[in-house]
Amino acid sequence: MLTKDEVYSKVTDCLVDALGVDEDEVSPDATLTGDLGAESIDFLDIVFRLEKSFGIKIPRGGLFLENILSNPEFVKDGRVTEKGLQELREKMPHLDIDKFAKEPNVNNFADLFTVEMLVNYVSTKLN
Amino acid sequence: MSSSEKKFENKVVIVTGASRGIGKAVAVGFGSQGARIAINYKSNKDAAQETAQLVEQAGGKALLFQADISSRIDCEKLLEQVVAKWETVHILVNNAGVAKDGLVMGLDENDWDAVIKTNLDGTVFLSKAVLPYMMMQKYGRIINISSVSAGNGRRGQGAYSSSKGAVEAFTRVLALEVAPKNITVNAIAPGMVETDMSDLVRGLANKQILAQIPVGRYAKPEDVADSVLFLASDKASYITGQVIRVDGGITLGIGI
Repeated sequence: MLTKDEVYSKVTDCLVDALGVDEDEVSPDATLTGDLGAESIDFLDIVFRLEKSFGIKIPRGGLFLENILSNPEFVKDGRVTEKGLQELREKMPHLDIDKFAKEPNVNNFADLFTVEMLVNYVSTKLN
Repeated sequence: MSSSEKKFENKVVIVTGASRGIGKAVAVGFGSQGARIAINYKSNKDAAQETAQLVEQAGGKALLFQADISSRIDCEKLLEQVVAKWETVHILVNNAGVAKDGLVMGLDENDWDAVIKTNLDGTVFLSKAVLPYMMMQKYGRIINISSVSAGNGRRGQGAYSSSKGAVEAFTRVLALEVAPKNITVNAIAPGMVETDMSDLVRGLANKQILAQIPVGRYAKPEDVADSVLFLASDKASYITGQVIRVDGGITLGIGI
């Protein structure tokens, strides 16, 4: 069984390889897109590397968002609706939706995808 | 040839439809440069074995992998088997193709499906399957075999032209998506090549066709293979999303 530090270290390796960032740029609260510059293709890259590194299977859309926010029922005027928040809580329990719900602007959504979130997701999978 | 000259030493290359024609020449070409070639064939095992022999004689390694490229499940299985043997894939040549010609008014749905599934779906889903491996190693080359028929219509080739036109569009989009990962995606559009597939039409209209080819001869499969090898080489690392016509100039004139 890996400790949380060991999981963090392996997640960091995956991010360094996938995103070409330096190890010291990776911190628990670093956001994948804002701080580490991840683009859409990088999310797939990260998923493949996590699967290989930890020997886990991550279902399509299981870690990163697929199409939830493109559903008009879930987004109105640039804000995620109550129904959308509920959907996110169900589909993405690894995200801190309560924090996001305080200001559910879609532009803030990417900030939920942090290094720590990845570590927690992988730790849950491993358990 | 000394080993230092072998451009693709130990590179793992999948060539679909490699039992004959262009695929065979591509496989042998990579073999001569020291690559490990996954020779895919659908039904003609004897011909595939002959390709494998030629690859080995040329200095490469070869293994046979039976798979029907029109089947998504077969595409995934093919990839799994290649990776089980050689751990990864560096170069994919989507060559397997079929033509079922006939006027659109008499189009048979099964023929349409067969052409689209092999030529287009096979290219798409095998590419999709190899991408994780290419992405992880930050290197990959995908070369799709299109046809001049994608850009210049031929009567009776509704299905074939459509499939190749879509392959070229797919080539551009995929190239855009994976460029940041050091994966290039290009297509070759051959003209009239001396293969089994073009046997009939060459037999029926030899003089008329030759008259339209400025260089005055049909392409040999090796002419196409040379361009595939170039696109797979480091010399072509800045080329992506392109379609290179290897057609002896057949598409340059106006046919009169």
